[in-house]
Amino acid sequence: MSRVAPAVTAVDLVRTFQPRKQPLVTALDAVNLSVDQGEVHGLLGPNGAGKTTLVKILTTVLLPTSGRAEICGHDVVRDAKAVRPMIGIVFGGERGLYTRLTARQNLEYWASLYRLPGSQIKPRAAGLLERVGLAEKADARVETYSRGMKQRLHLARGLIAGAKVLFLDEPTAGMDPLAAREFRNLITEIRSEGTTILLATHDMVEAEVLCDRVTLIDRGRILATESPRSLGRLVSRFQRIDVDGADRELLDRVAALPGVESIAPGTEGHRIHVDGDEHVSIVLKVIVEGGVVGVRTSRPSLEEVYVGLIGDRGLQV
Amino acid sequence: MRGFRAGFRLQLSFFRNYPDMLIPLLTAPLFTIIFSMVLRHGGRSDLSGYAVIAPFYMSLWWFAIFNGGWVIQTERWEGTIDYLVAAPTGFASVIVGRISTMMFAGAFAFVEVWLFGRYVLHATVTIHHPYVFGASLLLTLFAMTTTSLFMANLFVLSRSAVTFSNSASYPIYLLGGILVPIALLPGWLQPVTNIVFLSWSARLLRGSLGATPIANAGFDLAMVFVLGLAALILASALLTRILRRAQQTGELALR
Repeated sequence: MSRVAPAVTAVDLVRTFQPRKQPLVTALDAVNLSVDQGEVHGLLGPNGAGKTTLVKILTTVLLPTSGRAEICGHDVVRDAKAVRPMIGIVFGGERGLYTRLTARQNLEYWASLYRLPGSQIKPRAAGLLERVGLAEKADARVETYSRGMKQRLHLARGLIAGAKVLFLDEPTAGMDPLAAREFRNLITEIRSEGTTILLATHDMVEAEVLCDRVTLIDRGRILATESPRSLGRLVSRFQRIDVDGADRELLDRVAALPGVESIAPGTEGHRIHVDGDEHVSIVLKVIVEGGVVGVRTSRPSLEEVYVGLIGDRGLQV
Repeated sequence: MRGFRAGFRLQLSFFRNYPDMLIPLLTAPLFTIIFSMVLRHGGRSDLSGYAVIAPFYMSLWWFAIFNGGWVIQTERWEGTIDYLVAAPTGFASVIVGRISTMMFAGAFAFVEVWLFGRYVLHATVTIHHPYVFGASLLLTLFAMTTTSLFMANLFVLSRSAVTFSNSASYPIYLLGGILVPIALLPGWLQPVTNIVFLSWSARLLRGSLGATPIANAGFDLAMVFVLGLAALILASALLTRILRRAQQTGELALR
């Protein structure tokens, strides 16, 4: 039985840079990664973690120092020509477009470079402009676009050839919240079509909302790869129950139950940490029978995981 | 071929959106007036062809160095170069396509100044050797394209590219025998002109406008081709080196 190759594979991938008169910098340190076809995979890490370096190697822009990487079973170094038609790229920021040309001219040009048949170029560009909400401004020069519009055009360019794997490198960086939300809605649409997406970001909300799995990367090393929900276990093995308005007597009774590790004051009520899922239902029953109606269970958010694993470095990179 | 066509059309779009890129087509007739007046004042109306040839070369060179020479650097400045390198179509073919559009614009300058000379200045410019003229024009466009490609690569590597591109034009006009006949240059300088393809090309084009037979036309044509080919080989080697180095160092796009 033939096995479908993962959309993205990295094996012991190393990338170093030698800045002039400075020590060697290791941007990627033995990175191993596998992304299944159709998966939306987040690469989450602070600035300088190695996310962009990894994306650039996977998109054939940069060579690895050692190790190997494949896209749908094709080596990104030896078989770059086979890789390129399969990938779409959206690097973040405002650059990367011909600002003196219109959005339509930009898209039609890239469609030619991705070898779309001549008869398909115009309809494909028009369809994508419609899809990303730029149809009315299709013939305006890109230099007149807002940042959000430019990012949507970047996305349209990434989709121009029907890529199997779409690389998004901080696509919502610098966008206002509404534009970022619109952009995420577009990504959600694209994932429903089965496109594999590798999303490099340091936006926790983005990763949590969009990704099936998230890889935490820091200083070129992978710290963990899990679903956003499962990642919580890495910083806390406890289930958390937040209760509002519980009196002292009830809290003392709960504290004596098996599996209850601690009870700490929260922002509004108290947070109870319970070790093991099997104890949660008993604790909940006691709380509800005690007359408390404000009850919520939760796991650590991705942001808590991020800070817990990577640490709060402030402005350090 | 897809890359070439895409590059060709891209540059056409630039010309359409920004006609100021075609400024040499505006200045070429002005230079024709200057050169025609100088020749008439000197009583050498028989050299009217020179007044057409010189502005044509100046326009072509302008397109080659100021547009074509910067074509890779502008891709870096726009941040489009990473996308271009990662596209399925060859990077070089796109760049050659863009430069070729510029050369077509430069070739149009010849038609423009010829018509201007004939109908506005009433200068007699007759092509007496049409085959030599056609062959030398085609080879000149080829050599100018490859020279432009070579400079486009050189400008990526050079820190003094702006200074060079701004100051190289008039020395090249002199060494190419465009403004002053090479025979009038100092003796020690004349051998240097042999490595400038324009010197062979200009002699051919001027010769094809004269009624007398052209001596060694075949050799001159071969020299234009060989020097154009040399520029192409150098450009290819440089481009391969630049792209490889960029993939190794990650310094392809400017940040």
